[in-house]
Amino acid sequence: MITRFITDVTTRFNPFSPRAKSARLFLSFLPPSARAQGMNINAQLLPRHSTEPSTLSVKFKDGKEMNLDPETMGIKSIIEEVDRHSRMLQKEADLADA
Amino acid sequence: MPPRLRCAAPRGLGSAIKPPRVASPSAVLLFPSTTARGAATRTYATAAPLSRVSSFKLPADYVPPTKPPTARPSDTRKSQLLRSYTSLLRSTPLILIFQHNNLTAVEWAAVRRELRLALNSVSTPGTDSAEIAETTQLQVIRTRIFDVALKIVEFHDPSKVAPTTASTVNGEKIQVVYNHDLSKAAYDAVKAATTGDAPLPDSTAYAQLSPLLVGPMAILTLPAVSPAHLAAALSVLCPSPPAFPPPSKKKSPGYHEPIAQSGLQKLMLVGGRIEGTVFDLEGVKWVGGIEGGLDTLRAQLVYMLQSAGLGLTSALEGASKSLWLTMESRRSVLEEQQNSGKENEKKESS
Repeated sequence: MITRFITDVTTRFNPFSPRAKSARLFLSFLPPSARAQGMNINAQLLPRHSTEPSTLSVKFKDGKEMNLDPETMGIKSIIEEVDRHSRMLQKEADLADA
Repeated sequence: MPPRLRCAAPRGLGSAIKPPRVASPSAVLLFPSTTARGAATRTYATAAPLSRVSSFKLPADYVPPTKPPTARPSDTRKSQLLRSYTSLLRSTPLILIFQHNNLTAVEWAAVRRELRLALNSVSTPGTDSAEIAETTQLQVIRTRIFDVALKIVEFHDPSKVAPTTASTVNGEKIQVVYNHDLSKAAYDAVKAATTGDAPLPDSTAYAQLSPLLVGPMAILTLPAVSPAHLAAALSVLCPSPPAFPPPSKKKSPGYHEPIAQSGLQKLMLVGGRIEGTVFDLEGVKWVGGIEGGLDTLRAQLVYMLQSAGLGLTSALEGASKSLWLTMESRRSVLEEQQNSGKENEKKESS
């Protein structure tokens, strides 16, 4: 996953719900130095019996905000969505460098 | 280290059966089917004992007592890890489950160091509490293997496995129970409980815990339910200011170093298992907040039961007392009436 262009990750989920799986896995895909490089990661855990749906929103350097639904999306499709935008930003950054 | 003797075992076996020291008959005699090539030129050093050993045959269904049959390969690392997890799950009353998101090795070291410091600060040396602090550990687990271990602990009851017949070295038939965690019985019990379309009933701890076991997991194991130690661990690993404040900068400067802090930010407490019951974050905090530990709770219970007993005895006594009082008053009334009646009779007769 390309994480260079992500500035903000906000998620809330109930760990006792099987549908929180992809939100939790997304957090585990962020690199060890993510926070040191200025990414804001905000994970809120819901109490056990709450039926609130889990949410995941990702903000990018160009200001785009992506609201992903971890209840229905698998981790693969979430990464695909995030990478699609990240690749675009990468292309722009590469062109600016050259 | 003493030198390894490679031939120790066969020699020991040979001397046990007492082979006669005679000139070696060639291997041709032992293995008549393999005579074709080179038999004349080859002589085997072990041929002499073997001729007698060949009469010493292990029974077909002999199972070495040190290597019972298993459903999973017993000599792989995964199987032994599974065994260590099952024994951990059976023996540990307090397990906290964390999700760890890419901690580096130095961050792990810092987190463990701060945890150790906090645990030592709540225990007095030379007592049980010091031992609890010493044996508490934070370990990264293999999530899937831990999941299987949890299933085995939940659904496999070793006491219910029927014995099977096996032979000893001298052909004697004996009854043996193979109920260890890698056995076929354990495997079948778990399969029977978890296959099928119906979801597991929520009453089982496995059904409650299994959604937690996703992604990279670490567990904190405490060898006893000690709210003081739990509170100390919580204040380091998942501080929440009013009840579990993080250690002060003066007391533990290492905690506020960037390495420890970035490590702790990546640790997420997702749940726990305390005395077989599954708790979420709030529940774990509630257990950690029990002041004075289990002894206080026990004292409260004893006091409650005592006072209830006192009330009960007085209530029961009260009924009989009031009955006695009414009967007594009635008796006195009757006696008075009788006396007055007698007096009247006396008056009339006189």
